Amino acid sequence: MSTTLPLFRRAFFDSWRSTLAWAAGLAGATFLYLPLYPSIGGSAQMQDMIDALPPEMVRALNYDQIATGPGYTQATLFGLIGFLLMTIASVGWGAAAVGGDEESGQLELTLAHGVTRVQVVLERALSLVLRVVLLAALVFVLVRALNESARLEIMPENLFGAAVLFAGLALLTGTAALCGGAVSGRRTYGLAAGAAVGVVGYVFNAVGRQSPDVEWLLNLSPYHWAYGNVPVANGADWAAAGWIWGISAVLVAVAAFAVSRRDVGT
Amino acid sequence: MPQAISTRSLTKKFGRREVLHGVDFSVETGSVFGVIGPNGAGKTTTMRCLLDIIRPTSGEVRVLGEDPRLGGPELRRRIGYLPGELFLEGRVTGRKLLSHYEAISGPVPPGRIDALAERLGLDLDRHTRKLSKGNKQKLGLVQAFMHEPELLVLDEPTSGLDPLIQQEFHAMVREARLKGQTIFLSSHVLSEVQQTADTVAILRDGRIIAVESVSGLREGAVRHLRFTADGITAHDAGALLGTVPGVGNVTVLESNGTVTLSATLEGAIQPLVRTLGTLRLKDLVLEEPDLEESVLQMYSGPADPPRREAAT
Repeated sequence: MSTTLPLFRRAFFDSWRSTLAWAAGLAGATFLYLPLYPSIGGSAQMQDMIDALPPEMVRALNYDQIATGPGYTQATLFGLIGFLLMTIASVGWGAAAVGGDEESGQLELTLAHGVTRVQVVLERALSLVLRVVLLAALVFVLVRALNESARLEIMPENLFGAAVLFAGLALLTGTAALCGGAVSGRRTYGLAAGAAVGVVGYVFNAVGRQSPDVEWLLNLSPYHWAYGNVPVANGADWAAAGWIWGISAVLVAVAAFAVSRRDVGT
Repeated sequence: MPQAISTRSLTKKFGRREVLHGVDFSVETGSVFGVIGPNGAGKTTTMRCLLDIIRPTSGEVRVLGEDPRLGGPELRRRIGYLPGELFLEGRVTGRKLLSHYEAISGPVPPGRIDALAERLGLDLDRHTRKLSKGNKQKLGLVQAFMHEPELLVLDEPTSGLDPLIQQEFHAMVREARLKGQTIFLSSHVLSEVQQTADTVAILRDGRIIAVESVSGLREGAVRHLRFTADGITAHDAGALLGTVPGVGNVTVLESNGTVTLSATLEGAIQPLVRTLGTLRLKDLVLEEPDLEESVLQMYSGPADPPRREAAT
């Protein structure tokens, strides 16, 4: 029996429960935050409250444009809770894809069959991409659906660009985890690599926005590459999107190269 | 017939630790070849080299006429592999897992999976992670046998199986051999290998210390002998036994009218029987050769120089 992309199918369909759970989490977060905009983000009192906060804190949380629908969506959903959920999901999947599978001893049996190592990495990376894209697409659809009722006034093309960056950012952490796992053969190192990319990106953004002296940190922050110009309000920086997706592709290639050159399961 | 597997001066280092120090052996096509040795001798490492899961540090490996490094998926489709430690997690049924492995290995004849599962008494509709160790092992065996590969590489295939299923497994091996498949299997106990294998290799500390046919091993093995006779003194009986080639460890157990002696015999039986024929025997026990014991002798002997005998 020959089916196309057998490893992709297994990686994708065997994890449907987890995909569904993260989708439910993201949907929950979206429904929790966005309908509150008219009463919180858009109100004059909220703006007064934001003004009363230390400006450093406002910048760190990306709350500077929270009084507009797109700014609110950017800061709360794409920039915070959604970013967090997507990163955790993607890093978990990425670390499990090769490193976790090897550590649990199952990769050995897969590789003893009629597959190449490059094929294993690529098909599993494809499964990671598809799951991340599905989650981002879900967020896109839900925000579109709530746009009217929550009076967000987000332009569809800007939302689309933000969703591409949202997926790209998650993918970058996920592929870093996949790469870390593939190079080391250990799930933990994969998790560490993915989490490092996510956390460092977020922290460098928060710190880098504080003063011109540390602005250079922004250049090292994938989070800032993606969200620096507030894409939900202003549209995506497509060059940044290209970089983020491109680096993810490179990380997958490095993973494939590393696995194909070393001993497995030792 | 060509050789299904051959290795020459196969070495493997993990970092600075060398676990295989020049392994040489060959497995003839259509034969059953067992490799035994204590844990850590290098059995699993050798098998993993055959499947390109790990790469040798030096030496030459040929599997079904190809270098495993270069044979790629096409070569591995012709092999069925059972890893020494089988981990099957995930929330999938045995049937789904097998259809996944079917998709990435050679073609499986229709009905073959169910037939094998039934033979081994395996329920294919249970989730794999809920299976006991023995049932996981059965799933691993089905996975290795299902596409009727030219070569089966089985690392400790009977571990976790109960005796009845072990018998069934031995029958599967014999049938595979009749169909012309080659089987390379490992164990840490000889009794398991001797039931199915034509040839046994003994691996110790990363070296093959002996390759013998099972019948050869049987000939070279030590038998225990005990007899009771009358009309002879213990001393004379002992002296008489001492003239028989291969006899050792002569012990007098009893000497009051009748004498009872025990001894060990290594090698041919005929000279012993001829000598015993001159005595007035009351009782005679010549035990089955203890292959385990002869193998243990090899384990405990010096590893160098390697003793090699032609495998027939």
